[in-house]
Amino acid sequence: MSQAVCDPVTLEILRGAIRAAQAEMEALLERTAISAFIREKKDFYTALFDATGQLAVGSNVPIFGDVAAPVLAAFPPAGMQTGDLYWFNDCYSSHGAVSHSNDQVFLAPVFSGATLCAFVMGWAHFADIGGLRPGSISPDTTDIFQEGIIIPPTRLIAAGVVNEAALEIFHRNSRFPEQSRGDTSALMASVALGVRRTEEILVRFGAPVVADALRQLLARTEALVRRRLAETFPVGTHRFTDIIDSDGHGNGPFRMRFALTRTPDDRFLIDTTATDDQAIGPVNFLMNSHVPGTALGLFFLGGDPAQVCNAGGANALDEVRVREGSLLQPRFPAPLGLRGLTMMRVLAALNGLVNVAGGAAPAAHSAYVILLLRGTADGHSFLMSDGVGVGYGGRPDADGIDAVYFVAQENYPVEFLELGYPVRLIRYGISIDSGGPGKHRGGCGLVREYEILADRAVLAMRIDGVDNPPWGVAGGKGGGSGRAVVNPGTPNERVLAPLSDGNVLVRGDVLLLETGGGGGHGHPYDRPADIVLGDVLDGFVSPEAAFSHYGVAIEAGRVNDAATASRRADRPVAGAFHRREYVDVLE
Amino acid sequence: MSLSERGLIIAVDIGGTFTDVTVQDAATSRVMRAKTPSTPGDPSEAFLTGVALALKSVGAKADAVGRVLHGTTVATNLILEGKGASAALVTTAGFRHVLEIGRQDIPRAANLYAWIKPARPVPPRNVLEVTERVGPGGAVLTPLDEDSVAVAAGRIRELGVAAVAVCLMHSFAHPAHERRVADLLRAALPGVAVTASVDVLPEVREYERSLATVLNARVMPAVSAYVGQLETRLQAAGITAPLLLMQSNGGVAGAATVRRAPLVTALSGPAAGVVGARAVGAAARFSDLITVDIGGTSADICLMKDGQVALTQRGRVGVWPLPLPMVDMVTIGAGGGSIARVEDGALLVGPISAGSRPGPACYGNGGQAATVTDAHVVLGHLPASLLGGRMRLNPALAAAAVRAVATPLNLSLHDAARGILAIADSTMIGAIRVVSVERGHDPRNFALMPFGGAGPLHGCALAEMLDINTVLIPPAPGVLCADGLLAADLRAEFTRSVSSMDVEAVFAELEADAQNWLASEAIAEADRCTERVALMCYEGQGGELAVPWAGDRVATEAAFAAAHDALYGFTLISAVRLVTVRVEARGLLPEPVRPTLSPGNGAYAAGSAVVHWASGTEHTPLYDRDALGAGDNFDGPAIVTQLDTTTLVPPGWSAEAHASGTLILRRSLG
Repeated sequence: MSQAVCDPVTLEILRGAIRAAQAEMEALLERTAISAFIREKKDFYTALFDATGQLAVGSNVPIFGDVAAPVLAAFPPAGMQTGDLYWFNDCYSSHGAVSHSNDQVFLAPVFSGATLCAFVMGWAHFADIGGLRPGSISPDTTDIFQEGIIIPPTRLIAAGVVNEAALEIFHRNSRFPEQSRGDTSALMASVALGVRRTEEILVRFGAPVVADALRQLLARTEALVRRRLAETFPVGTHRFTDIIDSDGHGNGPFRMRFALTRTPDDRFLIDTTATDDQAIGPVNFLMNSHVPGTALGLFFLGGDPAQVCNAGGANALDEVRVREGSLLQPRFPAPLGLRGLTMMRVLAALNGLVNVAGGAAPAAHSAYVILLLRGTADGHSFLMSDGVGVGYGGRPDADGIDAVYFVAQENYPVEFLELGYPVRLIRYGISIDSGGPGKHRGGCGLVREYEILADRAVLAMRIDGVDNPPWGVAGGKGGGSGRAVVNPGTPNERVLAPLSDGNVLVRGDVLLLETGGGGGHGHPYDRPADIVLGDVLDGFVSPEAAFSHYGVAIEAGRVNDAATASRRADRPVAGAFHRREYVDVLE
Repeated sequence: MSLSERGLIIAVDIGGTFTDVTVQDAATSRVMRAKTPSTPGDPSEAFLTGVALALKSVGAKADAVGRVLHGTTVATNLILEGKGASAALVTTAGFRHVLEIGRQDIPRAANLYAWIKPARPVPPRNVLEVTERVGPGGAVLTPLDEDSVAVAAGRIRELGVAAVAVCLMHSFAHPAHERRVADLLRAALPGVAVTASVDVLPEVREYERSLATVLNARVMPAVSAYVGQLETRLQAAGITAPLLLMQSNGGVAGAATVRRAPLVTALSGPAAGVVGARAVGAAARFSDLITVDIGGTSADICLMKDGQVALTQRGRVGVWPLPLPMVDMVTIGAGGGSIARVEDGALLVGPISAGSRPGPACYGNGGQAATVTDAHVVLGHLPASLLGGRMRLNPALAAAAVRAVATPLNLSLHDAARGILAIADSTMIGAIRVVSVERGHDPRNFALMPFGGAGPLHGCALAEMLDINTVLIPPAPGVLCADGLLAADLRAEFTRSVSSMDVEAVFAELEADAQNWLASEAIAEADRCTERVALMCYEGQGGELAVPWAGDRVATEAAFAAAHDALYGFTLISAVRLVTVRVEARGLLPEPVRPTLSPGNGAYAAGSAVVHWASGTEHTPLYDRDALGAGDNFDGPAIVTQLDTTTLVPPGWSAEAHASGTLILRRSLG
């Protein structure tokens, strides 16, 4: 049999068909899932893998690991059948393919006749899977067993027969079994739909053509990412270090040290072995070897419409070195629940590597903020997991994004929150001056102020970048820090530890939450005065900051040109990076 | 004259180039069409010219007109282009950045490194806070401080805006504060258009409601002025018949309704096409349809089952979500002007479009890029002239443009052209599948009706990929909007998000609103109908399903469970939540007159053309659509030409002219 070749036209048609299938899966999941985590916050993703388990068409999320490999390791393909569904959330046995236990992965093989041709994945964050505290993730945990039930790679459906007992055990371990049931049903229905669509694609184009198409998509992405890596990084080693503040158990800061080496024969290696030791608290990020390449890949792809986010990015890196026992490769059973903030710093550190080499990556962003409020109201226990947006880093050609959480994840509208939970929102707005000053301003974070209506509730808080805010670059300054304060401006005022659990709040307490911004890009004195004025009028920048950071004098809603010219004549000398002060190298 | 009575009915559809007028005379069952060049500077000019022309053609006087129907794209274009009146937003203290924050997300399909948040229709500097607070369920937590409204009014005066939107927290549950603020602002700011959110979208979720209100406020002055102009001109011409305007929900409404909430016209153009398609399908006895309206830059796709045009509240206009009830369709960036290009060795088609200027390369207006239309020209699908000779196509320019794509991919000219079409078709197929599945249907059980200028070129190719065996080509695929105007009833939806409120009381209130509205539109009691609809979900779900109210809560919940199972394949034991109630009001208008074809004498080819089919190059017969009589039939391959479109009948398909004027294409099986 000759090697089938997928021509460029068929390739594009296939790509469109796969994207449409993904859109259908996502629509189904979004509409039918039960937990607010999925339905309002939309913490779910879908993907298609080739027959060997390589991610061929993913989502635009740079945090994916090598998701199919753990299933293939536990269940050799020879034993797989049509109608199978595999399931896991086991971080350690999957080498960080999922990086905290709340994320459930459902993976189904797709066959053409007897030949295994592809895998379809549905992935979603489940609101509660047991563990130490409601919501399963908590700053208090010290091992992964406190973060809920662990599902090793499991054959949940064998040729159409569902292992109901496994599901029941899982639901019984959740504090909110109805949500667990509903979300599981939705995720399973979504993957089943994806399998059907992929089968249709296989029938329409033939398995050999589909296989060739997936191979080409992977090769195309890998080629582009390798080309861009070579354009960005001269031969040699490039280093960047970023920091998280604390692990919530009195330890920290923790440094992540990244080194990217391009060898004379154009191999690309990432080495993180100089990263600090693992943490006691749950900020460890079990970084799958695919993550750095996927993130760099997504950056290099930019908005290129010819490209898809897939394993081609990860394949473009020849090696990723980690050190067991470090923050990025903790030893079992270290806790992982709040790895999100470390993951967000890893993305910033990769931006830093590109910037160190003179590339055009954004400045650093803040890690999105999460709070979990649990208690009892009207005789029902409740769990409110609220994700609050932050500012993203300024870019060489654009401001950073204001007030967003992350890709695809939405907020809880105020009216929705108040209808569903015993809180009242007093304020929800832009946190002024939180965006790092720059020619391209860093995005601003948010202010979200809650009044507690439950008699008693326990709060878990996760903010990072308080001591070490996001850095600015190319003359841009660092972004603002977040904080959480109870009853601000009253005699009962207390500032909460940014990463803490067990904070007791009672009816009438006010919780003020401010989230961090993104770093700026370029010297703030190069930002046109009228744009700075607009920032002031719109509540992003205060008049004081406009003068002190941007050198723009604003009086009564207008720019004072003379005062601005005089201030800007005395231009501060910038360093390569800025975090609280200009420096040439961040340590 | 009541609206339900008959008289001459005039429908006016204003396009970029021509204004089409259709006159229908119920007494004689005659339908006349007239065409006049559009007048973009003042579209009402061509409107009146067309109406006068049409009246003259049927030899009627102004007082014989029973009603005038019109679809306007004023609101649509303003929103898509980010234009409209400068506006301010008044919101509850603490929420000044409600628009800026939006839903706090980077869209799922976006690249986070490259994405730029779209500029909001109102910047925060134009957002004013007033002191008041309503809680969930409508409880007043902080009374309205009217002094704070006065301060806001003063600030708005300084801003010098032409429109103001008012959207306060939980106003759908307790509209009094919002209405009072709107009244105070109207009094303080004469000449400024003020919109209260409860008059646009009284539903939960403050960002979407605020956005809808702001968009409404921004288009209000222009739409009001335009509607006023039309009314003035009609009156000057002695036409006192009511002016009814198309809405996004597929129904028409009086000018007063549209002035109050002009946002209801935002997607009226595509909606009119869908309603027209439904009428055309019904006349040919088809009630399960998938319609594809293919224009220059985009394609609108809609599915109707049992002749029902479904409504959705998950629509979008451009980048903005718009949860107003509107005809349930999806728009994708694939049309005749979609540009083909090669990037990283991949052939991409759309969503970038050459638009109407410069347009496809074959138009000879300086367009260099190969478009879908150029691919058709290269393959011989399109005649050398369009629109009855008003437009000539240049095949050499088309070939040069397509060759520029073919060469880097090492494809032949014809293979590249076929590839461009296949990719464009595939994009539409993907959207059709999503539309079908989201509604729980298998497309194979539907007939496909392509329309718009480019639709009939793609109909059979799309049908083959969807395994559909019947394609319906309407009598005038390019002017289906006019058919829609003639076929539409008066429609309006009265909705309210419910929390702890008494459902029966809310329904009764909404029904009273509906009756008042129908009365104000001069609909006789016998022609009024209202339907209760419940938007429900399982406790905790994010998407509601609309199910007819079955008399009580229990029966409606059972209907919901059945619908959920049919759509998604499972039900849950969880409690069912009633999120929003809706009363759909309809004022029935007389059925439109449909002309019929006289029996044919057998189809004959008027000529032939060289067409490069995938199966080989063939001299292909050309049929003149206007010469076809009822029952005339022929086999593909063939090309059917008519003033407003060209229909491709590939090998393996046959065509038959139905007495209703629709051309029915059937695939020979096997």
